[in-house]
Amino acid sequence: MARTKSPYKTRLALTPYLLLSPAFLVLIFVVALPLVFSLYTSFTGYRLVRPDTLWNWVGTRNYERIFADLDFWIAFGRTILFLAIALNLEFILGLGIALLINRITWGQRTLRTIMMFPMMFSPILVGYQFKFIFNDNIGVLNNALQSLGISDAATPWLVDRYLALGSIIFAEVWMSTSVFAILLLAGLFAMPRDPIEAARVDGCSPWQVFRHITLPFLMPFAFIAMTIRSLDVARAYDIVDVMTGGGPAGRTELLWTLIARVGYDNARMGQANAMAYVSIILSIAFTYYFFTKLVAARRYMGGAA
Amino acid sequence: MSGPLKRRIVAVATWIGTFLLMLVICLPGLWVMLTGFRPNREVLAKPAIWIPEQFNLNNFAKIFGFGAEQIAIPVPAYFTNSLVIALTSTAIALIIGMSGGYAFARFRFPFKDSIFLGLMLSRTVPGIALSLPVFMIWSRIGLIDTKLGMIIVYTALNIPFTIWLIDGFFRQVPKEMSEAAQVDGCTRWQAFWKVEFPLAKSGIASAGIFAFLTSWNEYALASQLTRSTDSKTLPVGLMDFTAQFTIDWAGMSAMAVIIIIPALILTFLVQKHLIAGLTFGGVKG
Amino acid sequence: MSEIKLTNVVKRYGRVEVVHGINLEIAHNEFVVLVGPSGCGKSTTLRMIAGLEEISDGEIHIGDALVNDLPPRKRNISMVFQNYALYPHMSVRENLGFGLKIAKQSEAMIEERVGEAAEILGLSELMDRTPAELSGGQRQRVAMGRAIVRHPEAFLFDEPLSNLDAKLRVQMRTEIKKLHSKVKTTVVYVTHDQVEAMTLADRIVVMKDGYIEQVGTPMEVFNHPVNTFVASFIGSPPMNLIPARVESGKVKLADGASVPVPNRLADKVRDGQDVIFGLRPDDMTPEGHGINDTGQVATLELTVDLAELLGTETLLYTQLGGQDALGKMFDPRDVAAGETLRFRLSLDKAHLFDATSGKSVRL
Repeated sequence: MARTKSPYKTRLALTPYLLLSPAFLVLIFVVALPLVFSLYTSFTGYRLVRPDTLWNWVGTRNYERIFADLDFWIAFGRTILFLAIALNLEFILGLGIALLINRITWGQRTLRTIMMFPMMFSPILVGYQFKFIFNDNIGVLNNALQSLGISDAATPWLVDRYLALGSIIFAEVWMSTSVFAILLLAGLFAMPRDPIEAARVDGCSPWQVFRHITLPFLMPFAFIAMTIRSLDVARAYDIVDVMTGGGPAGRTELLWTLIARVGYDNARMGQANAMAYVSIILSIAFTYYFFTKLVAARRYMGGAA
Repeated sequence: MSGPLKRRIVAVATWIGTFLLMLVICLPGLWVMLTGFRPNREVLAKPAIWIPEQFNLNNFAKIFGFGAEQIAIPVPAYFTNSLVIALTSTAIALIIGMSGGYAFARFRFPFKDSIFLGLMLSRTVPGIALSLPVFMIWSRIGLIDTKLGMIIVYTALNIPFTIWLIDGFFRQVPKEMSEAAQVDGCTRWQAFWKVEFPLAKSGIASAGIFAFLTSWNEYALASQLTRSTDSKTLPVGLMDFTAQFTIDWAGMSAMAVIIIIPALILTFLVQKHLIAGLTFGGVKG
Repeated sequence: MSEIKLTNVVKRYGRVEVVHGINLEIAHNEFVVLVGPSGCGKSTTLRMIAGLEEISDGEIHIGDALVNDLPPRKRNISMVFQNYALYPHMSVRENLGFGLKIAKQSEAMIEERVGEAAEILGLSELMDRTPAELSGGQRQRVAMGRAIVRHPEAFLFDEPLSNLDAKLRVQMRTEIKKLHSKVKTTVVYVTHDQVEAMTLADRIVVMKDGYIEQVGTPMEVFNHPVNTFVASFIGSPPMNLIPARVESGKVKLADGASVPVPNRLADKVRDGQDVIFGLRPDDMTPEGHGINDTGQVATLELTVDLAELLGTETLLYTQLGGQDALGKMFDPRDVAAGETLRFRLSLDKAHLFDATSGKSVRL
């Protein structure tokens, strides 16, 4: 007895799409369409100062040019290095902090709240704060070193090639470690006692318990943190822009600051859009990678988490 | 090593570790806040003055245009812009996010996972990369350097994460609640407002606070899409200071304090729900 | 009148069909229990009646109305959920009155109905508490109260007792039974617990893998299971099912032992047929301890592997036809492992099922 789909059923089936449609509308207007436009632009020689160049189709020239450009590759490599160091440090420090706070019984909630503050700081403020602290002349760090008599020199934290990148990584890690710490701590709270106790009874050392029970259980939480982080890795742009502006002489140039320089300062929109596409693909790759890891880890845990 | 001694060493180490950790987390912010209450002279002094000799609200009076000293940076206008843009975009994102989050939490539909992933991926587009085409389009349709333009952009920015969080909060409300209400005679709409919404509302409120803070703190897009007192927000305004010949560290710090305070208060309000929302939405899938 | 009628009802999730065209008629004021192992489609069926799952194919009528396209609120039914689904942000009073308030009934009427339900279920003292302040049994009662205040055409129960501990479960079971005799209404009740089904139902519907296996009164289903699944599912401890073959008027078990073909089934089997011999533990008792001393009886010497003393009776684990089998002794006496006893098998109560189809040879 085959019945045709009744209007009632059709309405039920359409409801979720109807509920999602405002979200789609906004995202299409603000994200999808502009990205299509920017994809087009990346194949033109568009310059902000000469509007008619928008129709100047140049094929893949922008891409050829940026891929042949040493500055681009240096910035790209630096960005990857920056992310690799920052994310790993954040994970390790976050894990350490979570384990540390998990041991504390008194004032744990307060500590957790304080830990959240850096996460909520505007990246621009984090950048400013460390620009101020690392300032070679009046920065509190050099002042302290001098007052304590450790060093007389005005260490150029934000000027020296390596120190500057290190300072920026420090700011980034300061801002984002709490994402890991808080989620891993939530993981530790959610962790059932039984497997740990079973492992102890089975003769595992504390390290073995951590390695084989605690850590696998925490991995889904780590991947949530990674996913959340990779959603806006690019907010490092704010920090770099305030602290060094990508300088001096491009020594702290990341992919994102390079885009801004080429697009707005040099007004070469076509080329900037080509670079922007590289950065978008990078971000999506990061997020997608961690998201699939998250899904896999979740499946592996069998919903135990 | 004997047991009790070892335990004590571990305990002491734990406390020292925690103390150092809190120091690293708190000191930079506290130093900036402290600077906001000190005169620039003192900040620039060499050798450094560690114990503040003067401690007052002059910097705040100055940037808000009350004091004897005047500066060229219209902080009150930026403050208003920030507030209007963040509040409006948050309100819109919440409504849209509730609708979308509910769809994910309560309905089964084809391509659900892909749609969810797609929404999240839209959030990954780096602000600066997105700013290029939006800048071009907004320039053409007259949205550049307007509050409306910023509100639209921030709404889009906040939708994916708001949906993620709210999805999680609705999932925490058992599906049977809505079903029981429907059997009790509610339409789905009534069931939502009378049963599901009241149970999820504190979570939704924290999603709202999170969205507000995202807008309040955003810089990459605002730095390109705003240019005058019509729409410039506080984070962009902060950079005005660096354009001057000598940096007014004290004034800049005072402005930083104005940006930080709402973040601190709101974080404090939202922290419990935010942790719950993130872990739940993420882990339970 | 509030009959419920299911005609060729199918439920599909995408391509997967979980309920395969079931037919069922539930009479006015009848208490019907859908029972089966998890995943058998019983809850899905109930939820389709409630309108919480859409019906992929077929028709459901409540009273005279075709309800396929009616949302739950228009079906005039009420439902008790497995985890009660009480509204945590409302007091007991508000929980009970919620449905009436939604229906825009007058204050006075709501108060009267709520008072009446509270009276029936003994909730009067608890009216101003929130669900969080109630015990499991109290929550269960509020959930039932919420169902009865609206005077619906039918009550639907979805495993309502499975979250309670064993003692409370028995107590609430009787309360549900009493409630049904007080508030005469059609009830559809889903459970995986065959004891609940036996004690509560006017009629039992045994389901498996999305099919209805058997419909009948508890005694029909217990005494005349139509196939091996129903035979093993209904009754505790379950029926012994021993593979055998019919040879010249005897049921020959795998280990060579044999019993006569039960007289009443003699013309239902043919020689050489592979069958499954079914016998409930109650009908397999050591000589002198049983209650089944009349009628057709077979006697076998069986070795007891283990005896479990339950107080009033003793379960005897033994081997029959090379299979584990269970006998019963209505006498709390310990039996040493390895002791051999003469068992009397009540053939009047024995069942034979076809080995290939699993169906009772009676059919």
